[in-house]
Amino acid sequence: MSAVSDAMSKRSLLAAIADEDSITGLLLAGVGQVSGEDGKETNFLTVTPGKTSVEEIEEAFETFTTVRKDIAILLINQHLADLIRHRVDSYTNAFPAILEIPSKDHPYDPEKDSILKKVRRLFGE
Amino acid sequence: MEGLFFNIDYGYVEGVVRGYRNGLLATNQYLNLTQCDNLEDLKLQLSSTDYGNFLAQHSGPLSTSIIRDNLSKKLYQQFQYLKQQSSGRMAKYLDFISYGYMIDNVALMITGTVHERDRSEILSKCHPLGWFDTLPTLSVATDIESLYNIVLVDTPLAPFFKGCLSANDLDDLNIEIIRNRLFKNYLEAFIKFVEADFGNPDKEIMLRLLNFESDKRVINIAMNSINNSDLTAEDKLSMFPSYGQLYPVYHHQLSNIDDIEHLKTVVTSVGEYKELFSEQQDSSGSARNLEDWFYYLEMQYCKNAFTQQFTLSSIWAWLRSKEQEIRNVTWIAECIAQNQKNRIDNYISVY
Amino acid sequence: MSGAGNRESVFPTRMTLGMMKIKLKGAQQGHSLLKRKSEALTKRFREITQRIDESKRKMGRVMQTAAFSLAEVQYAVGGNISYQIQESVKNARFKIKAKQENVSGVLLPAFDSEIDEEINDFKLTGLGRGGQQVQKAKMVYTRAVETLVELASLQTAFIILDEVIKVTNRRVNAIEHVIIPRTENTISYINSELDELDREEFYRLKKVQEKKQIAAEADELEEQQKIAKQAQDQLDEKKLEEEVEKLDIKHEHQDEGEDESKDLLNDKDDDVIFD
Repeated sequence: MSAVSDAMSKRSLLAAIADEDSITGLLLAGVGQVSGEDGKETNFLTVTPGKTSVEEIEEAFETFTTVRKDIAILLINQHLADLIRHRVDSYTNAFPAILEIPSKDHPYDPEKDSILKKVRRLFGE
Repeated sequence: MEGLFFNIDYGYVEGVVRGYRNGLLATNQYLNLTQCDNLEDLKLQLSSTDYGNFLAQHSGPLSTSIIRDNLSKKLYQQFQYLKQQSSGRMAKYLDFISYGYMIDNVALMITGTVHERDRSEILSKCHPLGWFDTLPTLSVATDIESLYNIVLVDTPLAPFFKGCLSANDLDDLNIEIIRNRLFKNYLEAFIKFVEADFGNPDKEIMLRLLNFESDKRVINIAMNSINNSDLTAEDKLSMFPSYGQLYPVYHHQLSNIDDIEHLKTVVTSVGEYKELFSEQQDSSGSARNLEDWFYYLEMQYCKNAFTQQFTLSSIWAWLRSKEQEIRNVTWIAECIAQNQKNRIDNYISVY
Repeated sequence: MSGAGNRESVFPTRMTLGMMKIKLKGAQQGHSLLKRKSEALTKRFREITQRIDESKRKMGRVMQTAAFSLAEVQYAVGGNISYQIQESVKNARFKIKAKQENVSGVLLPAFDSEIDEEINDFKLTGLGRGGQQVQKAKMVYTRAVETLVELASLQTAFIILDEVIKVTNRRVNAIEHVIIPRTENTISYINSELDELDREEFYRLKKVQEKKQIAAEADELEEQQKIAKQAQDQLDEKKLEEEVEKLDIKHEHQDEGEDESKDLLNDKDDDVIFD
């Protein structure tokens, strides 16, 4: 278990894939980390409707979940998670944890949440 | 006597501005807006006002930012029209108005340059009223010296940069300070221009508005830097415009203040700002905070500005009122979109 | 308890029987332990799922309040400050500290929020106007993110527990439905096999004895016939004195035969006692 806890202690950042307003708020809370190193410039992706493609979102998802080893929690707007739902649903690792958050224009819908879906399935609802 | 020749040069423009002023939303229109259940309703309500079919070319779901952008577009169009009609000292006056927005744009460009952002991306975020031809070239510069020597000397902002070249490197802290120093220089220059070129009653009204603007900045800077050890008293003083009712008696005092109660006593000792902090104590839903008070006072001044005839100051008053109106509508839209109806009455309406 | 196919392929010896009995006991003990573990985990799991459900709903509200505080900032600043904020970010003020919690031997990670008050990238944001609102929004969002972090640790615990419970249940079921019946089958197989062997052995010995008896009787008969024949022959040829001598010899032979059969009987008795 010591290897696991080692890997865990390195994960100290939050990452975010969200629209501009959510990102602004999260950055205000101080989750942002910008460093000059290659491949880990920022730990957040601002999604602008019409400008950011689904591929870019997927790529960022991939980077934050598998490539980077310093991320403990990935926050993603629910409506953006919907765009890459297959990826989110098939993601089973415990680290980093993926959390679907509501955005300003898209209120939270518990029915869509990957984790809550699992909960429902388990209790046969 | 002033009024005798006013209409030769500026009669038409003033007429247009007064027309615009009548287009501002009145209290009962705001009431209608607050009754809306969703943004579509809001759009419908707004289409019966001066904004008309401002959202006509937009399809798809509405969001508050779309509404705000389209409202602003209308404002920009009107301002550009005024600019085209202007001549003589009025042209200069309008230039001065846009300098304020230019400062914001320049600060934005510098920020973008420091972080090596895509130029077109930053340009799209610039304020349209503060656009000038050499704005895109700003990103060429890498340090403040070359920025000034190569690009800024050719812009109308050059004189304002004189006092803020002490900072040698461009980091974010400095940019915010530069912005505020620029604004100080700009306000001082604006006031000097008004004092020199304007006659009464223009001069009186404009000075009141600009002095208020100065005080607003001084109070804000003093308050927002209370717990900030990075800023020395000299730094703060260098950002305080040397006008306003707080100048010069309280400036030194304000620059040294480090707790908010002290600041309140100093500021409230000026008659007009007596109420500034009065309702802040009870933070129940509708209480006004400092920013609201400033907006409220400013709107009062602007409303009063329209009581005089043959004035150019009505342009400034209209512009400010319109900006406030856009903020109000955005706020209402935001409250509707986020289902926070209990705060919806927080807008400021004076007309 | 089904067919003879469901057992381990072992030689049915007394030693393996002993081993199987130990194995069965171990399996039963393991089963009850794992069952208890799984129950403890499931209890915890249900607790967590309930809390997730609650806090996911709570999060919706918290985030809404937070988004609204951002609207207040925009109202106060009179424009969009997103760009400014995105550009002033340098270092993370809000970090995560992962620690571990032990639930019935399973290490569950838990995230803790760690806020470094030293770092403040937005000290001067809104200096000219709206600074108060910016600071307020900062506080509101900090609290919102704290809620999110809590939720994230619940969720991670959920995923890990889900996995662990599945594994444990699989083990419990394997022991209950495969290992225990198989061992029991093996034991009964060995027992029946050993019984079979015993019966065979007993039967064999009996058979041997029987054969020996028959052989002995036949021998005796033959001998007697032989002797009778010889006696007749000699009667014809030799004198009476010689006849007497030969009779003695025959007596000796008979004694030897009786001794042998007694030994065999004794052997078999020993075996039976051994059983």
